[in-house]
Amino acid sequence: MNEEIINIVDKIIAEKGKNPDAVIPVLQEIQNAFNYLPEDALKRLCDNTEITPSQVYGISTFYTQFRHKPVGQHIIKVCVGTACHVKGAMQVFDAFTRELNLKEGEDTDAEGRFTLDKIACLGCCTIAPVVQIDDVTYGHVNTEKVTEILEDFLQGSNKHRHRRNLRISKSKIQGEIRIGLGSCCIASGSSEVKEELENTLNSQNIHVDIKHVGCVGICNQVPLMEIHKPGETPSFYAKIKPEEVKGIITNHFKSASPVDRLINSFYNFFENIVLENTPITLRRYEADKRDTPVSEFLKGQINIATEYRGEIKPSDLEEYKRLGGFLALQKCLSKLSAEQTIKTIIQAGLRGRGGAGFPTGIKWEIVYKTKSVRKFVICNGDEGDPGAFMDRMLLESYPYRIIEGVIIAAYAVGASEGLFYIRAEYPLAVARIKEAIRVCREENILGENILNSGFSFHLKVFEGAGAFVCGEETALIASVEGKRGMPSIRPPYPAIRGLWGKPTLINNTETFSLIPWIIRNGADAFNKTGSEDSKGTKVFALAGKINRGGLIEVPMGISIRTIVEEIGGGIPNGKKFKAVQIGGPSGGCIPASMADTPIDFESLKEAGAMMGSGGLVVLDETDCMIDIARYFLSFTQDQSCGKCTFCRIGTRKMLERLNKITSGNGTEKDLVQLEQLAQSTKKGSLCGLGKTAPNPVLSTLFHFREEYEEHIKGHCPTGKCTDMIVYDITKDCNGCTKCAQRCPTEAIVARPYEIHTIDTEKCIKCDICRQVCPVDAVRTVSSRQ
Amino acid sequence: MIKLKIDNKDVKVPVGTSVLKAAESVGTVIPAMCFMEGFTNNPSCMVCLVKDKNSGELFPSCAMKVAEGMEILSEDVEVKEARKEALELLLSDHVGDCEAPCRIGCPAYMDIPQMNRLIAAGKFKEALIKVKEEIALPLILGYICQAPCEKVCKRAPIDQAVSICQLKKFVAAIDAKANNSYFPAKAESSGKKIAIVGAGPAGLACAFYLTKEGHDCVIFDRNTNAGGSLRNIPETELTNQALIEEIDVILKYGVKFKLNQNVSQDYFEKKIKKEFDAVVLAVGDKKGLSETDLEKDIVLDNLQVDKNTFETDLKGVFACGSFIRKQDMAVKAVAQGKAAARSVNKFLSNEEPEKIHRMFNSKFGKLKPEEFDEYLKEATKDERFTPQNGNLDGYTPEEAINEAKRCMHCDCRKLDNCMLRIYADEYQADRRKYLTGERKSIKKYNNHDSIVYEPEKCIKCGLCIEITVNEKELTGFAFVGRGFNVRVDVPFTRSIDEALTKTAVKCADACPTGAISLKENL
Repeated sequence: MNEEIINIVDKIIAEKGKNPDAVIPVLQEIQNAFNYLPEDALKRLCDNTEITPSQVYGISTFYTQFRHKPVGQHIIKVCVGTACHVKGAMQVFDAFTRELNLKEGEDTDAEGRFTLDKIACLGCCTIAPVVQIDDVTYGHVNTEKVTEILEDFLQGSNKHRHRRNLRISKSKIQGEIRIGLGSCCIASGSSEVKEELENTLNSQNIHVDIKHVGCVGICNQVPLMEIHKPGETPSFYAKIKPEEVKGIITNHFKSASPVDRLINSFYNFFENIVLENTPITLRRYEADKRDTPVSEFLKGQINIATEYRGEIKPSDLEEYKRLGGFLALQKCLSKLSAEQTIKTIIQAGLRGRGGAGFPTGIKWEIVYKTKSVRKFVICNGDEGDPGAFMDRMLLESYPYRIIEGVIIAAYAVGASEGLFYIRAEYPLAVARIKEAIRVCREENILGENILNSGFSFHLKVFEGAGAFVCGEETALIASVEGKRGMPSIRPPYPAIRGLWGKPTLINNTETFSLIPWIIRNGADAFNKTGSEDSKGTKVFALAGKINRGGLIEVPMGISIRTIVEEIGGGIPNGKKFKAVQIGGPSGGCIPASMADTPIDFESLKEAGAMMGSGGLVVLDETDCMIDIARYFLSFTQDQSCGKCTFCRIGTRKMLERLNKITSGNGTEKDLVQLEQLAQSTKKGSLCGLGKTAPNPVLSTLFHFREEYEEHIKGHCPTGKCTDMIVYDITKDCNGCTKCAQRCPTEAIVARPYEIHTIDTEKCIKCDICRQVCPVDAVRTVSSRQ
Repeated sequence: MIKLKIDNKDVKVPVGTSVLKAAESVGTVIPAMCFMEGFTNNPSCMVCLVKDKNSGELFPSCAMKVAEGMEILSEDVEVKEARKEALELLLSDHVGDCEAPCRIGCPAYMDIPQMNRLIAAGKFKEALIKVKEEIALPLILGYICQAPCEKVCKRAPIDQAVSICQLKKFVAAIDAKANNSYFPAKAESSGKKIAIVGAGPAGLACAFYLTKEGHDCVIFDRNTNAGGSLRNIPETELTNQALIEEIDVILKYGVKFKLNQNVSQDYFEKKIKKEFDAVVLAVGDKKGLSETDLEKDIVLDNLQVDKNTFETDLKGVFACGSFIRKQDMAVKAVAQGKAAARSVNKFLSNEEPEKIHRMFNSKFGKLKPEEFDEYLKEATKDERFTPQNGNLDGYTPEEAINEAKRCMHCDCRKLDNCMLRIYADEYQADRRKYLTGERKSIKKYNNHDSIVYEPEKCIKCGLCIEITVNEKELTGFAFVGRGFNVRVDVPFTRSIDEALTKTAVKCADACPTGAISLKENL
């Protein structure tokens, strides 16, 4: 065995521990060191710890994060989340496969430069389709751009190596510039903008505060830069490119002119900013314009979980405190007993935001009443639903608020230990929470005798390793205990017997984020918002075929129509609104005809969907509902832990039938069996994943049965199912030859100034021709015709 | 103590009892595969589903603990449907045969793989005994059988089928020539007399098995020699000597022959009907009958014969063989003779004759080329042996042993105790219902002294993994992967004998299916 491996593994073991429950963190470290899990490293691990080969193998093949084969220098992750899916992520994936010359079963190119991978959801749904290469994220990717992206990345990665460390003098401050640095913003290039901004300021000797705020919510307009200057109306720039930064800055600031320090004015800047539906390269908006799409976007929203959105710097504890942060905790510690705290939450009518909607206060009460010396609180940030990014945004933008919520909960239930379970796909969220925990420890907000109250609570971060099922609480616990994330039967509920057999409170991230506000403002302030049985607000990730996608926080009971038409600004490109998919893989599709359905736990369930954790993907007339059902089934069957029969095999058999139907070979019998399997999987599965996995199928069967019937007759009405369509060029073709030049399979022969044709035998339906055609002459038609 | 109701029966059990065990305490047996006493009970098979009457929800009874006031339904239609569905899903993912295809292909359902293994072990007499359980005339059939078993032999596409028919002839020939031929133990004499009309293959077989049941059998035949249509076969295919030898065995076993006896209408009414308790008509092809024969009259009377039980519409009269339908294979006639004997026996015991119930059989069809080597792990790679002394004389003992070793053990080692088979049979599961998509490829882990592991028969219950962990095997088993592709495997591509150093037998015993089985079970 090679010395290097031995040394590295031994070091990791010394750091992370030898116990079986250290296995996931240890494997994560080994993978960080080698980029994969070398077999020798695993053997060394087993030889020197309590971890057994059986455990290592079980774990490392369960979680998708782990790799057993070396990878290329760079890893390309194509997001295949819902929003990306409906915008053609699979075609993008195929394009990368072709570009890298990968053969069936291969994931790394011959030169070992790139490894291609799919990822369930990067949580950047508003800039779908999204591709991440190492830590560089590209949004709005289409098949046509793939070559360009690889070139850009390779150039960029050279550039990155020469990045200078820039320091900005804090002396003469002329103003403040705010830049959103949520993952979406970064994915849209805000860190490049930031870098360019720092360069400009440095070289021009301009002294301005650069403030990194969290997610600004209006994700389709990012990078967004906000300039505050004393005596001037704040200005906002949307969709900025780095090369435009210099111009903007010199417009506003003169080199080294002495200006008084800006006094922070905490008004809601969104109220007045102006954005337009159709983004153009560079837009500047004065803050005093009114009646704009953005004021529409914000009108129906209430910020509780997202309080001070766009204003607050995520990692600034002082600022959080200035804005009322940790007042709620102090109130609990000094004025409220555990019972009173729990009573407030019960009175607020808060229900769990993770999906099922169990009353939060009641759950707290159960944990509180269960006698045990040791109790745990877990913040569930394992947001695995494709099409959802609420947890990520909350964790990245309001780390202190969530920590405060967790500490309050711990105080209420009597827990002394807690952890954040955050999926490893959210590195920024992990980093921000870790940093915030560190700061809180320093400030005695965490640790022994918190704020001299006598209450002690310790908090740490556990990084999930890539398994959607770990969002299920019993699976999450198994995972923390160093096991495969396989759910177990409830009862016993974790509230009674959870982590290490002790009472454990598990709440969703968003639930915790609402706690401080409720304590500060009182139960009544919270429960006056919302509907009869669903109180307060809900954060949704609004994405898909929508003009203004983003993160929204709306009162419970709001109608789907209000969200789609008013907040979201309707469907782009003049297409017709067809349905919304709510609740991700556990939810369902609600047709446009039911758009007046209020969004609350019960109404959604009645409509065949589910609140889920809050993914809301809008579908238009070009989206095929069977394709959507198949998409979700392929996700859940891939994410099934494989334990119980119905989920393991039932979802697979459903998928096989859906594949058959979308390929045009379906029969009436397949439909009957599909429905039967959906019913029995719903009834017979052990955990929430299996029980809800059939929902996308059942809801589309219920609301869109005629579309299934059409497929069985061999016709996909939307032309989405590629096996049932052919590409065709109409008489509008102007003979520009662009399509022929870009066609990867020579299905189109270049004939300048003539109408082109597509050889359907050669065509692989990659869609490039349609994308590059300047006159929209490429279309898809049913292959039957 | 917790009080609850199971199928409306009051049950009182201690706190912490599972619903499954509570049901057992009042005599309600709930099927379960992945459950084992004393093990972490993480339900997976979902065959033990029951319904909570109040919520209408289904849950696995093995893992659900009883609660005060529970009302459980375990015999509900929905419950049974769900269990059946679970079994059908498991079967759709179960790549393995219960009985080998050769046995299923054999009209007489002879246990061919067992015979082969006994021959391979040099246990010729035991092999013959196995054969005679199902075939009364193995020597004769050894010459003339068209061997449908060999057509479905999984070895056929690899090189050539195992020479099953020759092997059967080999053991039968030894036995027929021996002074102490094998005679199955007879049941206590019933005192019943049975007339069998026709000494062809169906009649002879029928008489053999009825004799075994303790009845007195007399075979009537208008010819001078017994054998019926077998007498028409040329010497180049079936030697007269073999025919005589095997009929002689039947005679010695205690069957009486009344040859040169034409059974006329009159004879039938006055003699047979009066003196015998039951009659079996096995007179062969109708075309061969003369106008004056009784049988012809009966035929003219349009005698109705039940294809499953071989009863006719005349009480106590049965019919089999080519008489009811022309048989192009002697083995079918022999099989029918045996089946008719079974019905007659039932009739004489005042029971209702019924169709033979064949236990559920999982089948997966042809081997894929990449599976050839996996299956060959259980056999020798030699090509099919041609008898040195010619096909008519058949194998020498050495040749027979070598040929028998070519058999690949397609049948499952857990035929009798595989829970999947037992429940699939009980719930009449349709193994084909969800049989779509490409089937998984078979692997056999054969290099362990005491067990064989066949992952494609595994239902992923994880019991074996828990055993290896509990007993601190250094390598043991692990779950690999997840979802549909999850499998139980050996970590670090180590071999299975390294993985299971002390737990192999325990694993085989715990395994609810044939995935892990003991080698010693022949």
